[in-house]
Amino acid sequence: MMTARDALSRSAPFLACLGLLGIWQLAALALKTDSLPTAWEAVRAVPSILGDKESLVNILASLRRMAIGFGAGVMVSVPLGLTMGRSRGVASFFNPLLMIIYPVPKAALMPIIMLWLGIGDVAKILVIFLGVSLPVIYHSFQGAKAVEEKMLWSGAAMGLSAAQRMVRIVLPAALPEIFTGCRTGLVLALITMVTSEMIARQSGAGNILFNALDMGQYDTVYAMIIIVGAMGIGLDVAFESLRRRLVRWSEPGFDIPIGFA
Amino acid sequence: MKLLPLRSDIQVETTQQREPATAMIEIDRVSQIFQTSGRQSHLALSDISLTIEDGAFVSILGPSGCGKSTLLYIVGGFVSPTKGVAAMMGRPITGPGPDRGPVFQEFALFPWKSVLGNVMYGPLQQGLKSAEAEAQSRALIEMVGLKGFEHFYPKELSGGMKQRVALARTLAYHPAVLLMDEPFGALDAHTRTRLQNDLLNIWERDRKTVLFVTHSVDEAVYLSDKVVVMTRAPGRIKQLVDIHLPRPRRRSELLLDSHYQRYVVDIERMIDDTSEDELRP
Repeated sequence: MMTARDALSRSAPFLACLGLLGIWQLAALALKTDSLPTAWEAVRAVPSILGDKESLVNILASLRRMAIGFGAGVMVSVPLGLTMGRSRGVASFFNPLLMIIYPVPKAALMPIIMLWLGIGDVAKILVIFLGVSLPVIYHSFQGAKAVEEKMLWSGAAMGLSAAQRMVRIVLPAALPEIFTGCRTGLVLALITMVTSEMIARQSGAGNILFNALDMGQYDTVYAMIIIVGAMGIGLDVAFESLRRRLVRWSEPGFDIPIGFA
Repeated sequence: MKLLPLRSDIQVETTQQREPATAMIEIDRVSQIFQTSGRQSHLALSDISLTIEDGAFVSILGPSGCGKSTLLYIVGGFVSPTKGVAAMMGRPITGPGPDRGPVFQEFALFPWKSVLGNVMYGPLQQGLKSAEAEAQSRALIEMVGLKGFEHFYPKELSGGMKQRVALARTLAYHPAVLLMDEPFGALDAHTRTRLQNDLLNIWERDRKTVLFVTHSVDEAVYLSDKVVVMTRAPGRIKQLVDIHLPRPRRRSELLLDSHYQRYVVDIERMIDDTSEDELRP
């Protein structure tokens, strides 16, 4: 009984994807318009895109920009957020700046950034960097703010300096919260990656997508959407497994106190 | 868990042979004022002077809000007094240091570290080799009765076990003074009793100086050489009570002991007597 139920819950994500494709297929068959190819046509176009060397180079270039933007965003945002969380002065200095940037869609900055930096990698990476930064800063800030004072005192009594306490107590204690921010940041990186390429058409996954749209190659358009979606799922799964390994100590399922004085 | 053998034979001797007491901690006219919201200020401690001798087990007893924990934090160097000076072995306290080891009611363990990792943290910070730190830490974990739990994480432990880990973690870096801030306050009565007994057994081994904050009269009398009774806010010292009960103390014997009962009743009366507090402006 349990194994059947386990198998069902394990295969649920695949069933959901199949269901979505099924609805799509039926809708496309019913509507019969050029702008909505059937799911089957779109899925069939995926291998031909991935098999094409130029497309593959484009997609890998996108992923490279995303990785750099995400990495740089995390490297800058985590220390900034943690410092803001532990220092009221730093927080009140940066908070207004972040509140101004926060509601602006990062892709909307793309045209301005293109004026300064051109349409090459640097501009796109900067936009991805901005997209990643805010959730990571916010969650690092929250995580650092919530660190128990007495934990820091315990460290201070052991002889840890302020800088050591930051790296060896605040950082690990805030890690679960930082990971929550990074997960959101990762999704935003993917979104800004595609939108930056939509505005600065030169190369990349977004470029393939919108070129195909211009030329009315709708199966390619939908195939690219499937590819981007699959990348999102793949990155999220990889990230989750990393997160679970690193912050296993904070998992709620892990919370089994032993009856012992 | 295994209790440590009571070394009553040796203990009597050491008690008699102890050197003349020297001051470990001196608190000199310390006051603490906290700024509350608005322009209000709150006088938490008022003109406290107290000397704690080397090797003494001293409890600070008082109602909640009397500033007794604040006094402990000042000795720990976590809080700077508004007025006055606290000194350790003649040197003014300017910040926290490994010579004063805190044990908090909230445990404050590092949740990302195992029991062993928590206890090894201090020794490693002090530059001990990993193997050496581990050996010492394992011995301490056994001493606090947690052998077999070395690789458990704090989340997996009960409150009593967490406090045992916290005690071992602090003992691991050999502080000269233990600062215990209502360490058993969050525990149920049964666990509390067991931890009190075990703490006394551990303390009997090396007789570290202990400053112990509590609001339990029984606990203070059972454990201490001296009880500092404090008044409600503003916290002042109402009376110092020396507890002349022989050591090592056995709880079961002590509860029937008329001297013990006398101490408890007298101190309870002192705390109930609020006339002095009300006279204060």
